[in-house]
Amino acid sequence: MTDAPERTEGRPLGDIGLVDLLDRLLGSGVVLAGDVVISLAGVDLVQVRLHALITSVRAEMAEQAGWHP
Amino acid sequence: MAERGRYLYAVSRDLDPAALADVPGLAGGRVEVLRHAGLDAVVGEVDLTEYGEEGLRRNLERLDWLEEVARRHDDVVHAVAALGPVAPLRLATICLDDAGVRQRLDEWHAALEQVLDRVQGRREWSVKAFSRSTEPVTASATDQPGSGADYLRRKKEQTLARAAGAEDAARVADGLHMRLSAMSAASRRLPAQDPRLTGHEGTMTLNGAYLVPDEEAEDFLAVVHALQEEHPAAGVDVAGPWPPYSFAMLEQR
Repeated sequence: MTDAPERTEGRPLGDIGLVDLLDRLLGSGVVLAGDVVISLAGVDLVQVRLHALITSVRAEMAEQAGWHP
Repeated sequence: MAERGRYLYAVSRDLDPAALADVPGLAGGRVEVLRHAGLDAVVGEVDLTEYGEEGLRRNLERLDWLEEVARRHDDVVHAVAALGPVAPLRLATICLDDAGVRQRLDEWHAALEQVLDRVQGRREWSVKAFSRSTEPVTASATDQPGSGADYLRRKKEQTLARAAGAEDAARVADGLHMRLSAMSAASRRLPAQDPRLTGHEGTMTLNGAYLVPDEEAEDFLAVVHALQEEHPAAGVDVAGPWPPYSFAMLEQR
């Protein structure tokens, strides 16, 4: 846990790990707080419940990575 | 022919569309800039059988699909971040057509302007801290075979020591966050990540996001390194700089 910080020399921005990315793209980070909004012709048709989504994603990732809780 | 929709990657302003011409979008598509009311929406075309209501319900459950879309989305956001301030959109924000995108820009206009002002010239750094939850507790010299009462007393001491350890770790994490927040234009504490996903040992006591002006990044890192030395047991990890994902939130209406 005391890894050296990622070196990002020669790149304007560092790479982001998948878990950090999904945390931000699905969870807390992006424009609309709350749920994914799929908007067709200005009408919000779908609100994907993110908690359910993330839970299922996590379960699947754990499985794929060979972690068995 | 399959119905097409407009996928929104990010919003920025004063973009040179030519600078994004070679950035691959989703499904190998092109990335375009749609300018409206002083804002630039970075959009691409997607197939609504894949990205429509039904398609998304199905596909968001597939990790390989989700990862591919998240990576593509992130690539485009990085490319925009290299050109100007960026407000990344949440994954899978889709409108039927350009008119729908313009309507969104109108609707979110003031808030998007605020976000772009906030993140201009600033990037996100991630700092995490971990505490080892499995430290061996007081297997001391007095730890000889004893009575059941001794055993219970030792168990109780161990439980108390563990609780105290967790309290210490939480206090250290609070302190780290305070120090780093003071060095940042804005900061947030995100929920701790699941060790089954990240593979980290122990408990994540801090999952902090810090919005740091580019010219102060070195100072920020110097403080992180000082904190790493001050708190070797806290397992302080730093990563970045990233686009300001955690600071692009509009107020929820």
